[in-house]
Amino acid sequence: MSYKYIIIGGSAGSFQTVTNILASLPQDFSMPIFLCLHRLKHVRAGFVEALSIKSNLKVIEPNDKEYIRQHKVYLAPANYHMYFELGNYIGLSTEQAVNHSRPSIDISFASAAYTYKSKLIGIILSGANKDGAYGLSQIKENGGLTIVQDPEECQVKTMTSAAISATNVDHVLKANDIIQLLLKLQNKHF
Amino acid sequence: MQVTADDINRTIAAIKSNSSYDFSNYSIKSFTRRIEKAMFDFKLDIDKLIKRIKTDNLFIEALVKNITVNTTELFRDPKAWHTLRYKILNQFSENRKINIWHAGCSTGQEVYSMLILLNELGLLEKANVFASDINEDVIKTAKEGEYTYRFNLEYFENFDKVIRENPFNYEVLNDVPYSKYFEIDKINDVIKIHDFLRKKPVWFKHDLVTEGNIFNTKFDLIVCRNVLIYFNTELQSHVFETFYQSLFRKGVLMIGIHESIIGSMSNNFDKSGLIYIKKD
Repeated sequence: MSYKYIIIGGSAGSFQTVTNILASLPQDFSMPIFLCLHRLKHVRAGFVEALSIKSNLKVIEPNDKEYIRQHKVYLAPANYHMYFELGNYIGLSTEQAVNHSRPSIDISFASAAYTYKSKLIGIILSGANKDGAYGLSQIKENGGLTIVQDPEECQVKTMTSAAISATNVDHVLKANDIIQLLLKLQNKHF
Repeated sequence: MQVTADDINRTIAAIKSNSSYDFSNYSIKSFTRRIEKAMFDFKLDIDKLIKRIKTDNLFIEALVKNITVNTTELFRDPKAWHTLRYKILNQFSENRKINIWHAGCSTGQEVYSMLILLNELGLLEKANVFASDINEDVIKTAKEGEYTYRFNLEYFENFDKVIRENPFNYEVLNDVPYSKYFEIDKINDVIKIHDFLRKKPVWFKHDLVTEGNIFNTKFDLIVCRNVLIYFNTELQSHVFETFYQSLFRKGVLMIGIHESIIGSMSNNFDKSGLIYIKKD
């Protein structure tokens, strides 16, 4: 099985984990990574910069209809939902929040699941609500690989526990093991 | 409720042949989600929804209102308004008139943001403002200029950033009271825009996709924010062409901060900060 895209969802307690993942992936890690992270409504600027500090990969907040390229990390912009259109580009929308969240992890995961099918890896990290559980189940149903951070390691377990209950996830792993798995899957890819 | 690509095509075809609306070139992913939402809201499966479209014109109007997105706020993205205030609007100070079109004005918050800013710059009297939207209900709200207070506290943070503070000089603080523009009734949870602003715009129900520029004039400034994200690239190009033809030389186009002009039309505009300017 060769995976081509990674999507990561997280909320409270996920920022450090995402930073660690980005710091541990090498510059030649080619799979595009989509980040759908909840943030405070007013924290609209500075997030890309904070994630970029330790990342070897370029982190951007995409524009609507932006083409998706390898070696890049796409952070869902604050106050937009992020979709994945056929033809390999991003679509944004400002429709109302889902699960009190915009970006909504469910929307992005379900959209990526439908577009990328078995080429997709979905990862749910620490978080304080149930957003992402439905989205991860859609990834599973469409043949993608599902990974959830071990709830025991999460600052807040709600999101990961909900994801584990929603679908038969492929891996429940500590953050370091998630990184090792991604590196292994990337090498298989070549 | 999940629908297939075929369901969506049938829905679009039914709307097209039973009304003036054409959703053929909307972004597929977000449009599909809106239809799924409408099915949920109206409690109809896709076949029943299509049947209603074919048999009930009033339902089509209700559906269009349901599926179009109306998110807006006062001075959304203060940085974009800073560019407008400090780099752009001065160029119009010698104009006899400033023609402005808010395309997809939704409930009017950005129309009022612009009027407030123009007033602060002493340009309000020159402004000739048209505001349009596909959805009559949001225009009604826009005309009333009444918004909930508690839910919209960030309006005032944005107002402070754009109207009171100067990002280029932190020692400046323009002590503009909110009461200059709003009546704030905390008990009834209402922000009401003052009449001198409310009476200014001319409001139109208007479909950007099928009707183009209906105003018999060109514009100095077109504001169309987070509307084109719902269109595919082909339709975006068509609308950018309309805007280009509708702007005066050096005319200004303000779109959403995560939108961009793509394709050949981008060569016809210069970019200043987050704002596009039509080339000579």
